[in-house]
Amino acid sequence: MRSKCEKIERLVSDYIDGRLSEKQTADVTSHIYSCGSCKREVAELKKTKHLLKNFYIEPEAPDTYYAQFATQLRQRIEESAPTAPHQRIAAALTRFGWQLRTQMYRYTDYFRLSRFISIRQHALPYYILALTMLMLIATPFLLTQFPLENRNEHVHSPSTAVHSGVTLAVEQENAASHSINTRRNLNSERTTEILAVDSGSDIWKFTNDRVGDGYIFTTLEKKDSNTVPSVALDIDSELLTYAEFPTQDATSERLMGRDVLTDRRYALLLLRGINTSQHARQQYQRKRSEFRGFSHKLLDVPLEMMSVEVGYDLIEL
Amino acid sequence: MDRTEALLIADLCEGDETALAPLIERYKRMVYRLAVQITKNRADADDVMQETFIKVYRSIHTFRKDATFETWLYRIAVNEALNFVKRRDRRRECTLEGASEVDYESTVRHSAQVANDPHAQAEKSELRQHVTAAVNSLPLKHRTVVILHEFEGLTHAEIASILNCSEGTVRSRLHYARKKLRILLKPYMDARTI
Repeated sequence: MRSKCEKIERLVSDYIDGRLSEKQTADVTSHIYSCGSCKREVAELKKTKHLLKNFYIEPEAPDTYYAQFATQLRQRIEESAPTAPHQRIAAALTRFGWQLRTQMYRYTDYFRLSRFISIRQHALPYYILALTMLMLIATPFLLTQFPLENRNEHVHSPSTAVHSGVTLAVEQENAASHSINTRRNLNSERTTEILAVDSGSDIWKFTNDRVGDGYIFTTLEKKDSNTVPSVALDIDSELLTYAEFPTQDATSERLMGRDVLTDRRYALLLLRGINTSQHARQQYQRKRSEFRGFSHKLLDVPLEMMSVEVGYDLIEL
Repeated sequence: MDRTEALLIADLCEGDETALAPLIERYKRMVYRLAVQITKNRADADDVMQETFIKVYRSIHTFRKDATFETWLYRIAVNEALNFVKRRDRRRECTLEGASEVDYESTVRHSAQVANDPHAQAEKSELRQHVTAAVNSLPLKHRTVVILHEFEGLTHAEIASILNCSEGTVRSRLHYARKKLRILLKPYMDARTI
């Protein structure tokens, strides 16, 4: 009986509004005739509704208030209107844009598909099924016609590379070694070099010693977009944890404190120096799951070439 | 939506500011009523009214005909009022809301004492004050649903659309509010005036 009462209690509000089905109404009616407490509750709720309907004081204002309100509102609209010429031009353009948009809505509404094609509600699943099948058939064809390109964007140094010399070798586990050249420009400044390898599921391992001091950055690029979405910026604070160098010198501290490489494409500082490869490996492996969906590249930025095209001038460091 | 209203809206979309006045004239009482009921403060309601109609003026081009203008206006007014109350509560400014709650509690106690007095029970105006105070004592979300359903006569679906929630949520809030009101108004249910 108690569970029945609980069930009825959920329905009484709709019952007194007359919103229940015939069967539910009959259920509630038959129950309240046999249950004193539910009967009392329904009666009291009905009285409550009656009290609200007949005794609630609805706020009303005198006509003078509304007249004053209209005046104030008009003043406020006029005050908020643009006064300077450039503001007026901007407002006029905005208004024109909205008018254009309104007209477009009307146009699209007038030429809506349903005016010409009678889409029956019950046939909608068949339309969806047909559309899905069409997409399944068309997708392989489209992929063969327009293959997705492997987009490895390159980062260029502002310096002009004229000489090839030092080699930095990096290899991945389960992969062959890759050699990349480090170049020098006319001022004997070394330029950056990209190792364009998708390392989404790999661990970087450095085999050869580097020639000089510098910084190795890993960059993140969203595979299907030119920009890294906000998630890359969100995890930026965690990315900086990679800058936990084994030896904390003044330079690294300053570097860690900076919000470096948070450009749309470049995301994190990995480590300094080749001798910390094991440290980097552990750190990188631990955080790797956060970078799914990105393609990773390594970027070697030697100390004497502390500028990258994205505008972060690391010379200050 | 009758043709006059449709024309007014079209004119307002075109940038004709004179079309705003007839729309205000038509809906000012509704917006005022809602604003006062939700904010429980006439001065705040004035601000809400202004913000509501300014928003109507500036956003009329976003009004689509898949809903009536009245429902669209309800949505703006209710959300403006709710946002206003939330901002006001955050600022912890001294408003009449706190005062009204205190007044309400004292009123209830006083009424409970005089409930035995048949002369006091006969006073309709007093009963009106109690009913109004009971509604005002509800939490904001429940009060809003009660106002829209009981006094504005909107359906559950319309309220759900205005508050951007499900019909089940509306039904639940209404049920809770009625139960609370039933308890608050119980002393007055046997009054001869009802």
